[in-house]
Amino acid sequence: MTDIQNIKHKAFLYDATRCIDCRACMIACSVENKIPMDKTRIWVAGVGLQGEYPNLDRASMVYHCMHCEEPDCLSACPVGAYSKREDGPVLYNKDVCIGCRYCMNACPFGVPHFDYNKGLIDGAFIDKCTMCTQRIDVGLEPACVATCPTDALMFGERADLIKEAHARIAAHPDRYINHVYGEFENGGTSYLVLSHVPFNELGLPNLPETPVKTVSEEVMGITIPFALTWGAVLTGVTVGVHEYNKRKENAAKQPVEAEKESEETK
Amino acid sequence: MTNILSRRDFLKLGGATAGALAIGEFIPPLVAKAAREAGTLNANGDGYISSMCEMCVWRCGLLAKIEGGRVVKLEGNPDHPHSNGKLCPRGQAGLMNTYDPDRVLTPLVRVGKRGEGLFRKASWDEALGIVAKNMLDIKQKYGPEAMVFSSTHNLSQPLFENLLQAFGSPNYGTQRSLCFNAMTITNIMTYGMEEPNRDYSQVKYIILTGRNLAEAISNSETQDLIHAIDRGVKVVYLDPRFTKTAAKATEWLPIKPGTDLAFHLAMLNVIIGEGLYNHFFVSQYTIGFDEVANSVRQYTPEWASKITEIPADTIRRIAREFAAAAPYALAHNGWRTSNFVNSFQTERAIAILNALVGNWGTTMSPAGAEGAGLGAPTQPAYPRVSALRLDGVPWKYPFVPLQYGVIQQMRDSILAEDPYAAHGWFISRQNPAMSIPDRKKTLEAFAKLDFIVTIDIIMNDTAWFSDVVLPEASYLERYDPLNVVGNRAFIRQPVIEPQGEAKSALWIYKQLGGLLGLSDFFQYKDDEDYIQQELAPLGVSLDEVRKQGYAELPESNSNIYRWSTPSGKIELSSATLDKAGFDGVPKWEEPPAPKPGQFYLLTGKDARQTQFGTQNNQLLHKYDDEPGLWMNTKVASSQGLKDGDMVQVTSDVGQIYVKLIATQAIRPDCVYMTPGFGHLSMGLTTAYGLGSSDSDLHVTYTDPISGGQALSQTFVTVKKA
Amino acid sequence: MKMQIAINPRLRLSPFVMVLLTLMGIAFVVAMIRYIYGIGAISDLSYSYPWGFWISFDLFTGVAIGSGAFVMAATVYIFELKEFQPLLKPSVLTGFLGYIMVVIALLVDLGHPERIWYMMIHWNHTSVLLEIGICVMSYLTVLAIEFSPVVFEGLKWQKAAHFVHKFIMPFVILGVVLSTLHQSSLGSLLLIQPEKLYPLWWTPILPVLFFISAVSIGLAMIIFESSVSSRYFHRGLEIHLLEKLGRAIPVVLVIYLIVRFTQLTLAGDLQYLFNSGLMSILFWAEILLGSVIPLILFSIKKIRQSPNGLLISAIILLVGMILDRFDVSWFAVRHPDPLTYIPSLMQFNAHYIPSLPELSISIGIFSAGILAFGLVAKYLPLFEDEGHHDSAASAD
Repeated sequence: MTDIQNIKHKAFLYDATRCIDCRACMIACSVENKIPMDKTRIWVAGVGLQGEYPNLDRASMVYHCMHCEEPDCLSACPVGAYSKREDGPVLYNKDVCIGCRYCMNACPFGVPHFDYNKGLIDGAFIDKCTMCTQRIDVGLEPACVATCPTDALMFGERADLIKEAHARIAAHPDRYINHVYGEFENGGTSYLVLSHVPFNELGLPNLPETPVKTVSEEVMGITIPFALTWGAVLTGVTVGVHEYNKRKENAAKQPVEAEKESEETK
Repeated sequence: MTNILSRRDFLKLGGATAGALAIGEFIPPLVAKAAREAGTLNANGDGYISSMCEMCVWRCGLLAKIEGGRVVKLEGNPDHPHSNGKLCPRGQAGLMNTYDPDRVLTPLVRVGKRGEGLFRKASWDEALGIVAKNMLDIKQKYGPEAMVFSSTHNLSQPLFENLLQAFGSPNYGTQRSLCFNAMTITNIMTYGMEEPNRDYSQVKYIILTGRNLAEAISNSETQDLIHAIDRGVKVVYLDPRFTKTAAKATEWLPIKPGTDLAFHLAMLNVIIGEGLYNHFFVSQYTIGFDEVANSVRQYTPEWASKITEIPADTIRRIAREFAAAAPYALAHNGWRTSNFVNSFQTERAIAILNALVGNWGTTMSPAGAEGAGLGAPTQPAYPRVSALRLDGVPWKYPFVPLQYGVIQQMRDSILAEDPYAAHGWFISRQNPAMSIPDRKKTLEAFAKLDFIVTIDIIMNDTAWFSDVVLPEASYLERYDPLNVVGNRAFIRQPVIEPQGEAKSALWIYKQLGGLLGLSDFFQYKDDEDYIQQELAPLGVSLDEVRKQGYAELPESNSNIYRWSTPSGKIELSSATLDKAGFDGVPKWEEPPAPKPGQFYLLTGKDARQTQFGTQNNQLLHKYDDEPGLWMNTKVASSQGLKDGDMVQVTSDVGQIYVKLIATQAIRPDCVYMTPGFGHLSMGLTTAYGLGSSDSDLHVTYTDPISGGQALSQTFVTVKKA
Repeated sequence: MKMQIAINPRLRLSPFVMVLLTLMGIAFVVAMIRYIYGIGAISDLSYSYPWGFWISFDLFTGVAIGSGAFVMAATVYIFELKEFQPLLKPSVLTGFLGYIMVVIALLVDLGHPERIWYMMIHWNHTSVLLEIGICVMSYLTVLAIEFSPVVFEGLKWQKAAHFVHKFIMPFVILGVVLSTLHQSSLGSLLLIQPEKLYPLWWTPILPVLFFISAVSIGLAMIIFESSVSSRYFHRGLEIHLLEKLGRAIPVVLVIYLIVRFTQLTLAGDLQYLFNSGLMSILFWAEILLGSVIPLILFSIKKIRQSPNGLLISAIILLVGMILDRFDVSWFAVRHPDPLTYIPSLMQFNAHYIPSLPELSISIGIFSAGILAFGLVAKYLPLFEDEGHHDSAASAD
C-alpha cells in the first residue's frame, strides 16, 4: 500500500492494455461505498469488441469520475454543492444540492448520476466517485485500485503517474497510442488513461486543453459589469426620451398644460 | 416440528427480501466472537482478520476489514501468494455470498414431492437423526456400497472422504472427471505429480491451449500472465472463441475444436525434426524420446494445417519461436483443453513439448503435496471394501485415481443399477443436478434413490431434489482444515458468526460420524481442536496462526530433478499406458465432427461466475453479462437470426430455449454457452429463470484413460424459437 | 364592451373550463406520484438525458414567450411610446403568469423542490443557472409590481395604484435589465456544453442570439395573444398598433440573421449547413420558420394589416423560434450513455421520448396559465382602454 502521508495531489492511472474487464473494481466499489443494487459509481465503457472474424480487437475502459483539475460540475452547480479537495478528489455535498442536474449536463464525461427512483421522502441525489476519501485519508488506495488483479488501475501522485505513463509508452511504443489522456484534456484530469486503441473508442470525448466551462465562466464574469452598464444606459435613455418629449410638448403646448403634464408623468 | 409449510412459506425460509436486498441496505454484520478474542482488532473494534476465500478453488488469502466490530469489506491478503493483495470480482462479492437472502439457515426436511420445493424446518438433532437412520437402514439392507457420496474440491473434503471410507462405501464422485482429469492424469503419467507449478517470472514465450486466464481467473496466475504480457512476453492463444484472453494475446489462433492435438503433434514434429530440442535435458532427464520422435515424424505442419485450419507456416514459425525461447518457454497445460475424448493425448503432447525444451526449473517446477508437514487426529484403519465401484474405477478406468472418480459414469450406473443398485446419495457442497452432462438422466437417477441428503449454504438445485438439506456455515463463518501453499499453512477462520443454525462441515461430519457409530474416525473436540492437532508438529498456537493468518512450515529442499514416475524420469513415452493397451506416445485421434447444419457446442468461463454456485450472488449478477448462446454474426444472419432472438437449441439428448448473442468473436462452426445458468431450484430467487443450462444438452462421452467428460463433443442444431 | 367582459359566460364552468380543470387535476395527480416515487416514475429522463421536455418547453419556451412583458415595458415606459399602453397590461400579465408557470414546472423538475430557495443563500458565482435563478425570481417580483396597479384598480384602491405608478420607473428599468440578463443567459446555459451541443448552435455569442431572438419572440407573442384574446373575448383588435409592432419584426430578424450567419462564417461552421443530416434539417427549419419566412411576411404591408395575416405570421415565427429553443436545449445536444458498451459514446445513441405523464405535467401547468389569464381578464380591468382605442382604430 502506497505511502500517502505526504499528501500532494492524488490521481489514478488506467492502462487499457492491462484491463481484462473482470469488473472486480465495480464490485469492490459497490461494497466499499455501499452502493444500492440498482446503482453504480463505476462502469465499463468503450466499444468492446471490434472488427470482423477473425480480425478482432477488444478494448474496455473502467470509467468513473475523472476528478478534473478544473471541474465543470463545480463551475455549473448553482448552489456550490461541488468542491475540489486539495489532494485531488472532486466531492459532492448532498446537503445543499437542489437536484437541478445541471452538473450532469456540464460534465463532458457524463459522470454525475441522479437518482430518478427516489421521491421527496427518500431524497434524490447525485452520486459519483469520491476517490474513496475514507480510504485515502488513512493511507489506503481507493477500493477499485486496491483490488485490480492486473494493476490496470494504479493510484498515486499525479506527477509520478504521468512520468510512469510516459515511461510505459517509451518502453513499448508499438503497444500504446503516444498520448496520456487526461494529462492536458479539459485542463487536466486526475484520472489518466493509457490505451492501445483511439481514446474515443474507450468512450472518452475529444476535448481541448481548455476546460469546457471556460466560455461559460468568461460570460459569467462580464455579467455584473454588463448589468450595471445596461442599467445606466437604460436610465439615460429613459431620462433622455422623457426630456426630449417634454421639450417637444412644451414647445407645442401652453405652459400651463405642460406643467400639468409633467406632474402627471412623475 | 409438524408445521407443514406452504410453498410460499418455504420461499420465505430462503429469504423474503430477495431481490430487494442491497448491499447498502443491510447493517454490516458483527465480527465473529472468536476473531474478536484473537486480538486482531483494536479497542474500537477496527482491524483486519486474515482468512481464505472460497468463491472458487484458487483459495486466495483475504483480509476481512472490520470497522466498529462489523465486517464491512473483504480485501486481498498481500501475504498470500494466490492473492498478492488482490481479489477478483468473485472474491470481492464474498460478503454477498454469505448474506445471500436465499441462504438456508436451518436444517430442512422435505414434505412435498421431490422437486416440488416443500420443506419444513427441523432441528439439527432431528435432521441428523433422519440422515443417520436412512444411511444405516441402507447399509443394513443393501450394504454400505448402496450409499454413494460426492463432493467437490474443498478443504474439508478429507473429512468427507473419512466419513464415506469409515462408513464402508467405495462410491465416491468428485467434479474432477467433469473438469481437469485429462490434465492431472497426464501429469501423473508424465511427471509423477498432479500439476507442476508454473512460474511466469522468467517466461519469454507462452502457448495457451484454451486456457482463458483473463476470464477463468486464477487470481495470481492471471496477474502473472498480464504482467508477463506487459513485459513484452509473446503469448500464443488457441481458442475457437475470441475471449478476453485472446484480446490480450500476441497471437490468437481460432483453431478448429478438437484439433489441438494435431497442432501440438506438429509442434513436436518441427522441434524434433529440426533438432531444436534441449538435447542435454532430454537425454538426462527423460525417457522415451525415440518413440516420440518416430511417432511424430508423420505429423508435419502441412498435415496439421488441414486438420486445425491453422496455416502450416504459422505452426512451423511458432514451433521455432517456442524452441528459441527455451528454456523460458511455457506451453500451459490448460485445465480442460479442448474437451474431446482425445484431450488426454493432447495434454500428453503438451507435457512432452515442455519437457523437450527443458523448461523444468525455469517456467515449471514441482508442486508440493497438499497437507504435507501437518499433524492429524489419530484414527483407526478403514473397514475393507470388497464391492466394485459404480463408476468403474479402477475396473473400467484403470488410471483414474480413487479420489477422483468418474461421476458421470456413477450417475449412469445408478440409472442402470449395474453392477448393483444404489439407494442413497450423500452430497456435500456440490450440485450434480447442474454439473453432470445430460441433466435429464441425472434427475432420473435421483428418482431411483430412496434417500438424498445435501449439505450446502443455499438451496442449490440438488438440494431442491433432496430429502434432507443440511445448512453449512459459509466460508466467512467457519473454520476449515489448514491449506498449505509453498512453505506456509494458511487458515480459514470465522470472521462472522454463523447465521441461523448453520454449522461448519467439520462439526457436521463429526456429529454424523457419532450417530453412525464412527466416532473413532473423528477424534477432535471441535473445529479449533482439529486445527490445533494439525499445528501440533509445528509448535505454533492457534491464536498466533489466527492473528498472522498462516503458520510457517519447515523448508523442504528436495531434488527437483527426481520425478515420482516408475522410471524416476519424465516419461515422454509411458510404458504404463502401453501395458494397458493405450498409446504410450501421443498419436492422432480423429475427433467426431458435427454433421452439416450442426454446431460444436462449446462451454467456457466468465469472470463473475464459478461453475454452478455463484449465479445467485446478487453483486455478481449485477455486474455480469446476460447469459445467452453465442453464434457468429454472419452465420446467424444467414440463418435469419439476430441478436436477442429466442432460439431453440437441440442436441441428441435435450433441447433448450435461450437468447441468441450474435458476435464476431466465435468460429462460424461453433456456438458457445457460459455454464452455470438455467437453475431448476426456485429457492434461488436471483438465479432462477436466468439463462439455460448446457447440461441439458451435453451428451455423456467419457475418455477411457482419464475418465474425463468430453464436454465439447456435443453437437447441436439452432433454430428460431 | 366592458359589460360583455364582466358577464362573459364562457368563464363559467363551460366545457372548455372543465377540460382545463381536468388537465390540471391529472397534472396534480402525476406530480404527487413524482413526489412520492421520484422523477423516474413519471418521466423518461435518464442518466443520458438529465434535462428533457420540461426544460425545453416550460423553462426555455416559457421564458422566451414571456419576453413580451419586457419588450412592451421598454416600449411604453422607456421609449414613452404611449400609444402602445393598451398592449402593456396583457403582456405583463402573460409574462407574470408565464414566469409563475416556469417556477411551478421547476418545482416538479428539481430533485429537491423544497430547496429552491437555497439559490438565494448558497451562491456559486460561476454558475449560469444561479444567475438565471436569481434573475427569474427577481423579475417575478418586478412583474408583480408592474402588474399590481391593475389589481389595485380592480379593487378600487386608486391611491395604491397611483403610488405604484409614481415609483414604477426604477422597477421598469430593473425589469428590462433582469430580462436582458436571463433571456440571454438561457443561451449561456448551454455554453458549458461545447463538446455536446452541435456546432451549428454552440457559439460563445449564444446569449446575444438568445436576446435578439427573445425580442422578436416578444413582439410576435404580443401580436399572437392580442389576436387570440380579441377573438376569444370578442374584443376589438388593436390592429394599427399590431401593424406597427409588425414593422419592427423584420428589423430584429435581419439583425438576428446577420449575427447568426456572421458567427457561423467566422467560426468556420458553414460546412455543417448541409451535410449534418437531421441537424441540418433542424437548423434550416428553425431559420426558415423563425426568421426568413416571418421576415418576408411581416415586410408585406397587406399582411401586416390583415388580422389573419398578422396572426399566422406570428405563429410561424413562434414555431420557428421555439424550435430553436428545443434544438439548443434538446435536439442538438449529444447525450452520452457511458453505462453500457455502445459503438461510439458521443453519438446520438441514447434515446429519450418524453412520457405521457411527463407531458401531462406541462399541459396541466399550461392549462392553469390559460385559466388564470381568463380569470384575471374577467375580474380585473385588463383591457380598460380598449374602447377608446377601438374607436380610434375604426376612425383611422
